[in-house]
Amino acid sequence: MSARNRQRARRRAGINRNLTDQLDHWYRAAELRDDWLWTALSTAPADRDRAERAITSLYARLGRPRPRFHWAASPRQAVDLLDEPPIRYGGPPDPGCPWHLAQQLADEVHALRRRLDDRIGSPGDAPWWVGRNPLVATRPPTEALDAGARLSDVLDVGVRDSLYRTVRDGVRAVVLSGLVAAVPEPPGLRWHGQHDAPWLAHYDVRRRLWPGRYHPADDRQLDLWAEVARSCGWWWPREGVCVVTERTTVAHTEPVPGAYHGERRSHNGHGPAAGYADGTGGHAWHGTAVPEWVVHGPTVERIARERNVEVRRCAIEHLGWDAYLAQARLRLLAEAPDPGNPGCRLQLYDLPRQVWGRPARVLLAVNGSVERDGRRRRYGLTVPAHLDDPVAAAGWSYGLTGDQYARLLRRT
Amino acid sequence: MTMTMTMTLAELTGRTGLTVLDHLEQQVRIPVVDGLQAQGDLIVIPLQVLDDVQPSPRARWRPVPPGGVELLRGAAGGNPHTLVAGPGDAEWTTDVADPQFLAVGVLRCARPAYLIHPEHGGSGIAPGTYLVRRQRERSTQWGGGDELVAD
Repeated sequence: MSARNRQRARRRAGINRNLTDQLDHWYRAAELRDDWLWTALSTAPADRDRAERAITSLYARLGRPRPRFHWAASPRQAVDLLDEPPIRYGGPPDPGCPWHLAQQLADEVHALRRRLDDRIGSPGDAPWWVGRNPLVATRPPTEALDAGARLSDVLDVGVRDSLYRTVRDGVRAVVLSGLVAAVPEPPGLRWHGQHDAPWLAHYDVRRRLWPGRYHPADDRQLDLWAEVARSCGWWWPREGVCVVTERTTVAHTEPVPGAYHGERRSHNGHGPAAGYADGTGGHAWHGTAVPEWVVHGPTVERIARERNVEVRRCAIEHLGWDAYLAQARLRLLAEAPDPGNPGCRLQLYDLPRQVWGRPARVLLAVNGSVERDGRRRRYGLTVPAHLDDPVAAAGWSYGLTGDQYARLLRRT
Repeated sequence: MTMTMTMTLAELTGRTGLTVLDHLEQQVRIPVVDGLQAQGDLIVIPLQVLDDVQPSPRARWRPVPPGGVELLRGAAGGNPHTLVAGPGDAEWTTDVADPQFLAVGVLRCARPAYLIHPEHGGSGIAPGTYLVRRQRERSTQWGGGDELVAD
């Protein structure tokens, strides 16, 4: 072996060792992420002793004695138990006023997170407009690492962003939208216990992969927040009193299609997607938070009255495009035999602008294979409004022209 | 294991160990087709139908393994479209640039290959080169582009 080949072989071996190392770290991180995910989606009763101990320690950090604890079945019930108006973020309106306990606590967490961000060089809450490494965002983590992506980027997308999507923008948002619809004013400054998992996981995974990264005092404070997250639901700190809720008793999710990092979205077509023992909670349809009627009683009239187009879409999907188009008496623009699907027809409908908010058409097609009950399901696909021909619209859905699609031989 | 031109769904599932829903007709021969065919939200397009898509000349072709390749998994995490072929019968690459951004990959087969889906059953693919694409729909959100259909 020539000197140059030896050097190459060494470099290759070095890269491989490094890669193996990174893959090991990633697998460990993915396990920890899933652990935090199940913490967030837990429906077990709260561990009240553990939660009270951890919250008492957080009060003690601010020089406060152990508060009285009021336990509520749900955030809805907790809001009723609060005996002062909601506390706003960012300090009192009058700079002369002393800060409320909740505001002091928020300040503490904020400072803690900034110190931890400095230690790991990656923010715990990068908004969507901060660019992600495209290599990491568009490939499975192991492939991205193999292709030379930085482990730190893979952790940001695979742990932090994944949990933000499932929990903060998912389950927590569903609970919040149900809560906001049920109470007269927004519930103010609060913490979310199990639903604070995303930011905690971001810092926790880093310290487990690389112990000793944070200042010991910060480690201890992080432990307290993690303890609360692992033992209860949402909570509202007040002077001398703390209102804490039980965990969710229902948390229905499904995997996000095509996602690489274990992202899940809230969905339940029969009841609350995130609910509590007292029957309150929030509804969701394939990841979109929706009002209760969308799940329990979608009708053409309610759909026409609904202002939010996403909610309208969910309600129509739940009702079924077939039923919706028939009941709403939408105008049939054109129909044609479905190539490759003998005996079935493709139908193109115009959707009124006020239904959709933008010009759109719907292609109603029939499945190529039968359901268990022997029938074939009909389904609607939205297509661009400039398409006039049902065959061209079906072709467009596969990136084909109408002439190309007309050559379809078989559909199953 | 060679795949013949005269397979039934029962034979296909028996050989591959993949399962389909039991209400699908098991004993009818699966047509082996050399043209355009769709299986739910996937479509198999003979490459010569398209004039603007070719696999990259440096594409990494992988043999379709005996256990099959999962091309696409359904929305609820289950119900994959699986591509199966006898040993040495077919190869597969994802190195393809599709101007419509819908490509799943390119399939090249010397003997028939099959796509199996638990709800849609089997599709037989005759020898040739094909582009496999997903289906899209127009987003109903303001400013939204197109979204891939999740079956």
